[in-house]
Parts: sequence; structure tokens; C-alpha cells
Amino acid sequence: MINITLKVNGEERALSLPATRTLLAALRNDMKLTGSKNACNQGVCGACTVLLDGVPVNACLVLAANVAGREIVTIEGLGEGGKLSPMQQAFVDAGAIQCGFCMSGMIVSATAFLAENPKPSRKEIRQALSGNLCRCSGYVRVIDAVELAAGRSGA
Amino acid sequence: MSDIESATESAIGKSPPRLEAAEKAAGTAIYSGDMELPGMLHAALLTSPYSHARILSYDVSAALALPGVKAVVTAEDISGGYIGLVCKDEKALAHGKVRYIGEPVAAVAARDEATARLAARLIEVEYEELPAATTVEQAMAEGAPVLHEDFADYTKIYQAPENEGNLLARAEAVMGRGVDGFDEADVIVEGTYEVGAQYHAYMEPVSVLAAFGPDGRVTVWSSTQSIFRTQANIHEGLGIPMGKIRCVAPRIGGGFGAKAEASGQLVTVMLAKKAGMPVRLVLTRDEDMTSMRARHPGTLRVKTGAKADGTLVAREMEVWLDAGAYADDSPAVMNLVLFYARGSYSIPHVRALGHAVYTNKLRLGAFRGFGNPQASFAAESQLDEIAEKLGIDPIELRIKNAIKAGEQWLGGQRITSCALVESLEKVRDASDWTRRREAAPGRKRGLGVAAMTHTSAFLSSGAIVRLQGDGSIILNVGAVDIGQGSDTALSQMCAAALGLDIEQVSFATPDTDSAPYNYGTNASRVTYTVGQAVHRAAMQVRAQLLEHAAAMLECSEGQLELRPGGRIGVDVEPPRNAEVSFADIAGRSLWAVGGPITGSGSYIPNDPPDPEHTKMTGFLGLDALSVLTFGAQVVEVEVDEVTGAVEVIEAWCAHDVGRAINPGAVESQIHGGFVQGQGYALCEEMLWEDGRLVNPSFMDYKFPGTLDTPDKIHAIILETPEKSHPFHVKGVGEPPLVGAAPAINNALSAATGLRLKQIPLTPERVLRGLLEKG
Amino acid sequence: MEFHQPTTLDDALTLLAADPEALPLAGGATLVAMLNAELIEPSALVSLGGICELHTIEATPEGGLRLGAMLSHATLASEARLTGGNAVMRQAAAQIAHPAVRNIGTLGGAVAHGDPSSDLPAALVAADAVIEVAGPSGRRSIAAEGFFEDYLTTALEEGEMVAAVILPPQPESAVGHYEKFARVHGDYATLSVAVVLAMASGKCSHVRIALGAAGATPVRVVAAEARLIGSSLDAGAISEAAALLTAASDPVDDVRGSADYRLMLVPRLLTRALAAAGGAP
Repeated sequence: MINITLKVNGEERALSLPATRTLLAALRNDMKLTGSKNACNQGVCGACTVLLDGVPVNACLVLAANVAGREIVTIEGLGEGGKLSPMQQAFVDAGAIQCGFCMSGMIVSATAFLAENPKPSRKEIRQALSGNLCRCSGYVRVIDAVELAAGRSGA
Repeated sequence: MSDIESATESAIGKSPPRLEAAEKAAGTAIYSGDMELPGMLHAALLTSPYSHARILSYDVSAALALPGVKAVVTAEDISGGYIGLVCKDEKALAHGKVRYIGEPVAAVAARDEATARLAARLIEVEYEELPAATTVEQAMAEGAPVLHEDFADYTKIYQAPENEGNLLARAEAVMGRGVDGFDEADVIVEGTYEVGAQYHAYMEPVSVLAAFGPDGRVTVWSSTQSIFRTQANIHEGLGIPMGKIRCVAPRIGGGFGAKAEASGQLVTVMLAKKAGMPVRLVLTRDEDMTSMRARHPGTLRVKTGAKADGTLVAREMEVWLDAGAYADDSPAVMNLVLFYARGSYSIPHVRALGHAVYTNKLRLGAFRGFGNPQASFAAESQLDEIAEKLGIDPIELRIKNAIKAGEQWLGGQRITSCALVESLEKVRDASDWTRRREAAPGRKRGLGVAAMTHTSAFLSSGAIVRLQGDGSIILNVGAVDIGQGSDTALSQMCAAALGLDIEQVSFATPDTDSAPYNYGTNASRVTYTVGQAVHRAAMQVRAQLLEHAAAMLECSEGQLELRPGGRIGVDVEPPRNAEVSFADIAGRSLWAVGGPITGSGSYIPNDPPDPEHTKMTGFLGLDALSVLTFGAQVVEVEVDEVTGAVEVIEAWCAHDVGRAINPGAVESQIHGGFVQGQGYALCEEMLWEDGRLVNPSFMDYKFPGTLDTPDKIHAIILETPEKSHPFHVKGVGEPPLVGAAPAINNALSAATGLRLKQIPLTPERVLRGLLEKG
Repeated sequence: MEFHQPTTLDDALTLLAADPEALPLAGGATLVAMLNAELIEPSALVSLGGICELHTIEATPEGGLRLGAMLSHATLASEARLTGGNAVMRQAAAQIAHPAVRNIGTLGGAVAHGDPSSDLPAALVAADAVIEVAGPSGRRSIAAEGFFEDYLTTALEEGEMVAAVILPPQPESAVGHYEKFARVHGDYATLSVAVVLAMASGKCSHVRIALGAAGATPVRVVAAEARLIGSSLDAGAISEAAALLTAASDPVDDVRGSADYRLMLVPRLLTRALAAAGGAP
């Protein structure tokens, strides 16, 4: 077992875990942050996307022990004071959410992307979300949601 | 008393955010795999390495000896019988034989997942390998190995073949003069079409949590499309009385048909019982792909005859579906292929013959469209061949032959409302159908069309509507929202029936302990079928509200009007400013007169086939299947002549939904259904080599992402009121998928002149076709 | 399983030398996926993330670039100095999987894994890159073309790891292009063509071509390049070069395409790649 600390959603978390435990498993099992989902466990679907020092990564491809001391933000950490973040709210308002299983990763990816590129084209949004698979939406409302969030932040 | 029409406008035809959208956006929505209970164990499966083998013995001692292991189960622990919706041929775990690679054989519950997985590998199973039949051809060959020696003894709800080896089901439907009708044709086109196996690829792999209480009752939270089918399967498969089984559906991460029948629930319950502790099973993607279900691959020989003026006169379809190792829904899916064999057209003479065949691979089962995508790919592709041969525009040909309200469908059911022609006209106009599309050198563009029809009323549903003390309503239907938005749409209907805002209606978590029976979330049925029950239940509540209000306001019920927001007032001249709120009425009912106000409604369609119209043999009963919904799609594609890749540029999808309760959710169904159909058409196919699935991962099995899908999918909602429904609705869950493959195939042909008869239209198939065509 | 986080390359090499079952962990994009699938069971992991020198990019005295092994694909995809002929590397990196994976996966990890279907090996061969290897007996440099020896097999010896990749300066007017064809965006290539091309007065003055997913290693055929050099990249020259490349290819049959189909794509994607690199007539 390896002892590490991670800063997760602003909070220092001390953990003792095996070296092979992924960040996704650590979040879900050790920290009970189940918003990040395991849908492929090989970095293809994006349902586990979290921010590592502000950069989106597939939590299933990152070993928790390898990111000791670093800062993680999950879907649960985007909102403040029980309120949805602007991106989360945009996904609700645009009607982008169906079964919801891909949505945590989708929203985390979109959040990081919009911070980098506040006025994106729809094509750029599609490129940014190309690693987030969704089986319900056909992506139309998802792209709408990111556009909506971009429009609101620019207003 | 004001009619429903006026009282409902506040809740219907609007697109409020889904009830559960905020929790899903926040990441706090709970799915089965997110749940934990004190003392909970983790399950792992041992699966079959063979396509076909006899199980000679088990040795579980090494697994049990591993520290942390609490229970091991095999078929020897099964206390119940066979399960299966239409043919009971399957048990909770492989028993006696294994019939496909990946079939669960044994399972372990242990303190942690890693220990459970390790222990599963320590279980020793002695097999005697048997010859396998992994394709329909092999399974139907003379002397083929028989998968189910006891087939004759299985309980079935259809007339099954006898002594025909691996033939699971055969059905035939004949309308008019059948194949003799081809003598009326000036032109006949015949072809054989092949369709691949598509994986549902719901994002949430199958997950189950089962826990026995001290009273011996088991509660099962699982990723399911039907809490009642889950309950029935546990009851039948494990011999536990229904009263001892409580099934609950938390949030579900998609299903698309695969989660309608049993998945991992039975084995999880077995482990929980044996270990005496709660057990959670979460399948890996690999396990899910190798042990769940997929859309039936198959071969369809189709023949169509037309007069020179384009009038379609005869259709023949002969279908062979690969059913996999267990019957599951296969006989029903095959029946539905035949049900759609005639297409959306008034073809007088039809013969449709279908077969479903056991093979040594993954069971094939229900998947959005349920046989219709296969039938429609073949028939709608062939229709364009006829159009080309006759020199008639494909949309004109469809409009000319379009079936209309009042006519009878194959089987004889009467069509109650039909906007097929309008759908075709809409997509023709919206797509600017006749405008030629230019593409860059080395690329070609073209448009293709497909029409489709699908059912939307199917089997039984109930609803319970209760008035709470503060005047709000709680709606309990037991229907599972798997992402399509039914919780919200049903709440809107309930609110509308009582003149409430949707915020005043709460939606109860589906739970067999409290919910009325509901068959399941499938067959595009929930909005229509459950909606009927919701309306009936709400009307009972409304009647009681009015009775109370009349007493409280000292007037006759006829003088009352339902006012928005949960109030009832007196509607007389001169106006009297008197009204009571639902809360006032609730108070009276709970504390003084009448008791709690509750309404319950039940519904099952009853629209039996007409044997005078269609001669049918080998079919399951279709009595509880009715109300057809219509639509049409036009797709623009661009074909890369260098690689053979087909890209979808734009799509126009017109669907008649009777009335859109929640237009935003309808559009989302259209977008998502179309894209899932695009995947079916272009890139998705499960592939087996000697019975082994070669692409059991999202790395190797590919479905479309943001960069593979068109930005413009125009969802066109048509509203032709379906008068058999109080809110005039019809379903829309499946039709958007159904048209995609033939429309894309027809667009490929329009762009390049190449006509393929096999999906997926992989770049390789397209490029070879283009080169052969020259 | 042991987990080590050395801060110097020497420490990492010492740890790897001490335990032949230990594996170096770069970004993890492939290694962690393999751990998750229980395909590997190393006795220890030696994380390279804390070794500063592996994260640097510097110009070489010759005018090329030395890229540290721990640079992420995302970094390469946005590296402004990867221009001209070396743009082939930037383009290849930009087409690896998806944005989140590109933030995890590293140059050194991809090189050491040696998957012929992945994007960087062919680009490295086309760019005539040199792989700088560090091991117990010091450092050595291996040309990319010789580095990839077989399917998932490289010239790395026991205890060795990739320290850096050195891209040479490319000819003045060279243009790099990476042409990738896959079933869907972000998938491994069905076939890819990496090309570095320079034209002078309408004639090809320099060309290096490597095919990805065309065999167990990147496929390069000197004679094919020789056929193109001096030509105007006319259809005849390309066709003959493509024939040589096709003959040298030995792709697999798998879910990404049959071997035959991949071979059919060789001339087709080559033509497209050369045109994109500025060789269009």
C-alpha cells in the first residue's frame, strides 16, 4: 500500500492504496466520488474525465499514486455552494442530458475547453469533445449546450 | 366543466428541463454501480472458454480457500427453473452445457473486487468440448450439433418447430394472393441483403446490487429497463416467490433494449443469498459485450413487384436471423421483421417467411427497432432499386404507394392515424431534394430517403396518482426512464390532466413494492401506453377532487372549473369569487371526509390481428400491439472515392408523434436515434471468429463520436392527433434509428451509382464496390 | 507491487536495473490500460514523471530539436517549433486518440511501446529522427528506422529506456504531412502515410515516406523515395513508388480493415499525402 495525499475539489485527501489503483477507482471507491464513471476503463469513452492541474485527463488511465500531491477537480467540484456551474446549468438548459452516464466527463471536458477557448466554433467544440462518447444524444444538444455556456459567459 | 384541452396547455407541448437533469449534471445521480451497502461484497464471473461444451464437474475449493471469498455459486446452486420471455430455455448460470464463449459459468463474492476476480480464476471446471455451430449455415447443416437437446420440453408461447434441430422459430404471414401476386407486376426486383450485429453500447455496463433483509426478502437495484421483468425473471429463475423480491431502478445509463430482460441480476441474488451479505456485480465492458446481447445479424431475401406506373403489387421476404445460444426475444424479433416486411406501403400481395436459428454465440435480442431496422434496410433499399428501374423519383414512388389511415397493416390491424405522406413531403421540401450537391474532386455527394413505420402501443401498464397533504401530486408508474425522458413526459401528462404545473407533480422511483405493473421501457411504448394509464388514474383523482369541491363550495360539480395551479373554482353567472385549493381538499379528505384521494389506472391495447386479412402461422400473439407511428428521413452523404469512407453531411428526420408532450425530448430522441442508426449503417459490427468475439471493447468496436456525426440533424416533428390517446400521442423512441441505414445506403447509391446490399457500409466494402463498378 | 518515483534519470535506471520485472511508467495511456485489462503484472513501476530533464524541448546545435521523452502528445501537437518537415510530428501527435488521452500519453511511451498502428513511429521514421536511449551502460542513439524491430518490439535492451527523440533539421523548403485514415476519428490508423517532402522548381528534391499500420514496423522503402526524387511527382512516378511501398508492406487483417484493403490504400493515401505536402502538380 502507498500513502499519498491528493487535493480533490479543493480538499486535501490522505489515501492509502495499492500502486495499481487508478485515479478513477480511487475517486469512486476510496473517496466515494461516484460522479466520474467507468464505462470502458481504457481511455476511449471519456466518461471518467477529470481535471488534473486544470487539464482534462481520463482518470482510468492515471494511477492515483502517480499524481500524489496534485490537484484534481471532478464533476462534483465544478459547482459552488450547491449550485450548478455555468457549464452544468447550460447542459441542463440546452436539454443535452439523457441517460446522463457520459455527462460528468462531457461537462468536465467542456469546462476545461471553454476556459481555454471562450468563443469556440461548433467544429472546435466537436474537436474538444471528440473523446467523450455519448450513445443517447447524437451530440447535437451537447454542442448546443457548450455554445450556450460560451454565449452566456460572453454576455 | 372545462375539458382537458383547455386545462392542459400549461404542461403539454413544452420542454421543461428533465426532472433529473440537474442531478445528472451535478454528478450526484446514483446508478446501480454507484451504490454501496454496509458489508457489501463484490462479485466476479467465471465465463466459458468454449463455444460448446459439456460441463463435467466443478472444483471450487481453491476459490473458497482464498481469504476474503464469501461465496461461490455454480449451476448446482440454482433453485429455480428456466427463464425467457417467449421460450424458457435459459438458466441463471450455464447448466449442463456451455453454449457460447463468455457465458457465465460460476460466480464469486468476495470482500473486494480484485479478490473476487482472482478467486473466479481459481474455480476449476472440467469440460468436454463439443462440436460447435457458430453460424446459421453451420447450425442448419445436416448433422449439425444440436444446442438444445431439450428444446421440445421448453415452455414456449408460440408454435415452435418440432424436430428441426437448431431451428428456434419459423413464422409466415401471407396477405392477398401472396407470391402469386407477382403475376400482376411489370417489373420485379429481387436481392439478398445482409445485416451485421450491432452492440447497444449503452454507456453504463450492467450493474446490480442485491441484498437480503432479515425477513428473507431480497431487494435488487439494477440497471434494468423493467423492474417487473427483472422481478419475474428472478422469481422464475431462482424459485423465489414474487412477494419476496423487491426490484428497484435507480438512474439507468441507457439500455436500448438489452436491459429489458434478465442480465446479471439472478447470479447476484444467488451470491447474496449464499453469502448472507449484500453483493454488487458491475460488469467490465468486455464482460458486458461478451455476455449480454446484440442486434440480430441476418440474411434477408427480398423481392418486390411493381406495375410500370410505380404501383407496388407484391412483396416477398424470406428472413434468417441468427438468434445466438438462447432464445431470449429472438422469436418475437423475427416476427416483427415480418410485421414490417411489407413496409409502409399498400402492397396487396405479400408473403413473409422468417426463421430464427440457435447458434453457439452470444444471444441476440431486443435492440431499438426490434427487427424493423433489418427489414427496413432491405426493403427500403430495394424500393430505390425499383424507383431507378422505373425512372420514378424515390420520394414520388413512396408517396404514390404510401399506406393511409383507415387501411390495414400486415396482420390486419387498422391504422388509426398516419402522416406518412406529410413526412415524405416535409423531408423532400426541407432537404431541397432535387438540388444537386457538388463535392470536392475525389468526393461525391448524394441524397437518400427512407420511410418508416413503427408500433407504439404494446402490453400492459398501470399508474397510481395520489394527492398529498399539501395539494401536490405523486405519480407512480413503475416505468423506468433509461434516458429517453419518460419521467418528465409522464409527469407533464399527469400535471396536464389535473391542470397543474409540472413542479407540482413528483415522480416516484420505480419500485415493485409500490408501483403498479409496467411491462417495460421498450417498443416505443411508454409515452403512449403508460400515458393512457396515467390519464385514467388522474381522472379518478380529478373526479374525487370535484366531488369534494362541490361539497365545500356548496354547488353542483357541473358549476365547477379546474383552474391552473391546483385550484377549483365556481363558474357561474354572476361570477362568484369562491375557490378551493387542492391543499384544502387534501386536508378535508385526510382529516374529515372521504379519506386519502388516490386514483389508479390500467391499460393494455387490444387490437387482435384479422385472420381474414393476413394468414399467419408461427407468430406470437400480436393482440396487445397497435397504434402505428410514421416518419421519413432524407440523408445527405459525401463519399470519399479514395478510401471508400462515407460521411453523413446532413439529415432531415420527420416523425409523426401525434402530439409532442415534450418537443425537446422528442427532438433528442430523433437526434440520438438517427446517430445510432448511422453507426449501424456505417461502422458498427460485432465480429466473431469461430465463436469468439474479436472486438469486445470500445477500442475495437467503434461507434460514432462528435467528429463522425453531422452537426445538422433536423428533427421535424409532425403532429397528427392520435385520437385513441387522451393526449393524442404516439411513440418516437425507435423510428429515428430505423430509417438511417436505408437512407444512407440510398444516398450512397445516389452519390456514386453503387448499390450495396450489406451493412455496415464499411469503407472497404464501398471502395471495393466502387472499383468493381468501374 | 512497488511504486518508485525517482527524480533523476540515473536513479530510474538503477531501479530498473535492480528489478528486471519492473516497468518504466511514462504517461500511462497504454500501460495503465494494460494493467486495467490484467494483461501485464509488473513487479514494480518506475514513474518517470518526476524527472525534469525528460520534460524539456531544446534546439540542437545542428538546428534540429531534442524532445524529452516525457513530453505529452498535446505538447507536441501545439509545439510551434515543429514546422517545415518536422510538422509531420506535430500533425501525427495531434491525431492520436482524443484530447484527454493526448494530455496523458507521452512521446517516450509511444516510442517505447512500438505499436505500428500508433501514429508517432511512422512520423519519426519519415522525419529521420534519432531515438536517444539511456541504459545501465550509458546512452546511445538509434535511428528511428532501425529502432522499431518488430510488432511491439524495439531496439531497447533490458534496463534501457527512451530518454529523448532528436529531430534533425529538415531541408529548407521541406513540408511534413501526416495522412491518417481510420474507421472513426481517434481510432488507431487503418493505414497512415507520413511524409517529409521538399520541392524545388517543380521537382522533388527530398522525400522520406513511412507507412503506419502497414506492417509490424513503419514501412520505408528507399527505392520508392529514389523513384520520386527528381520527378515532378507525376502519376507514373507516384504509382511506381507506391508499388514498391505496397510490395514491402505486410499489414494485418483485423477489425480496422483487411490486409488487402490496407494495401489498396497505400497508393491512394500516398497520393493524397504527397499532394497535401505541396507536391500537387
